[in-house]
Amino acid sequence: MPRRGALREGLSHALVGIVAAMSVVAIAPARAAELPRIASINACTDQLLLALADPEQILGLGPYARDTTRSWGAAVAHRYPRLSGEAEDVLVLKPDVVVAGSFTKRATRELLKEHGQNVVTFDVAHSLDEVKAQIRKMGEVTQHPDRAETYISHIDTALARTRQFVAKKHYRVLSVSRRGWVSGSRSLMSSLLAEIGLTNAAGELGLKFGGFASLEAIIKLQPDFIVVSNDSDFAEDEGRAFLLHPALEHFYPPSKRLIVPERLTVCGGPMVADALDRIVSEITRAEREAGTAAPTY
Amino acid sequence: MVTESAAAKRRTSTIIAMVLLVVLLALISLGVGPVRMSPLTVLKTLFGGGGNDVYRVIVQEIRLPRTILAVAIGAILGLSGAALQGLLRNPLASPSLFGAPQAAAFGAVLVIALGLADVRSYVLPGAAIIMAFLSVFALLVVAGRNAGLLILILAGLAISSLAGSATALAMNLSSNPFVALEIAFWLLGSLEDRSFRHVMLALPFITIGAIILMSQRNALRALSLGEETAQSLGVHVGSLRLIVILGVAFGVGGAVAVTGTIGFIGLIAPHLMRPLVGYDPARLLVPSALAGAALLLAADIAVRIIPSTSDIKVGVLTSLIGVPFFLYLIMRERRALGGGVG
Repeated sequence: MPRRGALREGLSHALVGIVAAMSVVAIAPARAAELPRIASINACTDQLLLALADPEQILGLGPYARDTTRSWGAAVAHRYPRLSGEAEDVLVLKPDVVVAGSFTKRATRELLKEHGQNVVTFDVAHSLDEVKAQIRKMGEVTQHPDRAETYISHIDTALARTRQFVAKKHYRVLSVSRRGWVSGSRSLMSSLLAEIGLTNAAGELGLKFGGFASLEAIIKLQPDFIVVSNDSDFAEDEGRAFLLHPALEHFYPPSKRLIVPERLTVCGGPMVADALDRIVSEITRAEREAGTAAPTY
Repeated sequence: MVTESAAAKRRTSTIIAMVLLVVLLALISLGVGPVRMSPLTVLKTLFGGGGNDVYRVIVQEIRLPRTILAVAIGAILGLSGAALQGLLRNPLASPSLFGAPQAAAFGAVLVIALGLADVRSYVLPGAAIIMAFLSVFALLVVAGRNAGLLILILAGLAISSLAGSATALAMNLSSNPFVALEIAFWLLGSLEDRSFRHVMLALPFITIGAIILMSQRNALRALSLGEETAQSLGVHVGSLRLIVILGVAFGVGGAVAVTGTIGFIGLIAPHLMRPLVGYDPARLLVPSALAGAALLLAADIAVRIIPSTSDIKVGVLTSLIGVPFFLYLIMRERRALGGGVG
């Protein structure tokens, strides 16, 4: 059961905290009855909702909530109905609020609004500040602002901890995904790197929001580390084979790769605290494996 | 005898010129890429010299496999086209018109979509070759032994549509959420960022396919005199057909498994060579292979030079050039096609 194992490994302390909080709240159904009942049709709002709402408040989650590689809340998502992401099943549920992403199909959102649904849209978070703002926004939607503040303070604590660690190292880092997609200088990943004193080398490629970089360009750029989402040697498609190209492996063996799982960085939410910790622990590991602490250029 | 030797001389000089062209284009192909390098640096790093590790890896590990694949795949497509045109005695024959690359792509897509194997394993070309073989075989079964142009093209259209739909279905059934995008990109055909692992994946099958097709050159020549004459010369037409299909399946399957579908090279290459080397299918094979290699190299250089925000796929370019050419061929063959209907 490798999937189950990875899933368990990925569960953060914070998530265990939510589950505990949920079970405490579950004892008080009288209070929950007054709170808004919410349906989510977007992978990122799914995760915010799971983090902030009482279990009774969640009417359903989007189709990707149970994806263990990309959803931080996958472990608990299976307790809730799986929605199609289309308008139909949401209309049947008659929620008080529908939360959606700004990239969720416009037609779906418009249809829901036309039928009198209260649709709250969340943008894609490009920075740590936007992440905090979104946590607060979901705190208001769920009417649990206190929980939102707790998560935000977790993130601030993680920040203080990680800043102390890497501030003086000035590593140049490039986050590379399948097919050579690079997180740009105005992306959440870039913000996380900047907050802890690392430089996103994507800026030198002129990529603002992100874009595809050729293998040659990445090698020529020579960042100190590349951030990738996993260390498996299995290329399930050509996009993944990009990251396993011999030329990239030549300059970026495991000791030059920071492994940060997608479920920590795809969306903005409480999980960014874990992402920060993860980046630091990966740099520590990489430095140990490489046997050198200082960058050579 | 005089004309015979003049034709032979002309053929030899054509082959020499084409070899030189392929070598020249291969060198240019090594020289172009997102990172600018002087031709001298490229040559130095290619032969192991030059101290810069970055340039060495870029030339040897990124550009060289790409160039090798362009030469090998272009050549096998040209060769397959010439062999099929010879086999069917039909200038419109080519692997892509009959759905072989599309079927091969379906085989490979099935493997990718189901997550059955690493895309760099031999399962991929294996599946592609089996599907390519089945498609060409099905085509010949459906169209019959002496099928006219129209029947062949209609049957080919049906098979490539079937393969296309099956591919789309495989995409939908996949559990990998990126698979649709990956396959869509892959179907367009590209040589970008391939490695020597890909070369090792495709080259054995392309070589086998080329050897099989070349071994049938005398039989193809005999066939050009008509089926009965060929039989009287000792050619077993039924087995020739199967052997050529097998050769095309190996070549096209191996190529498609690594680059996705790259169409129309097999159609164009023989037509470019016919005015230079004559209509004998046996003599057309090698020049067509060289022309195919040159065409794919040129197309792959063009996609790297044409300014664009994201990379243009080489399969798109070959189709853009190939389809008008195909239309031109239909116009030229209009009378024969009309006769088929009547």
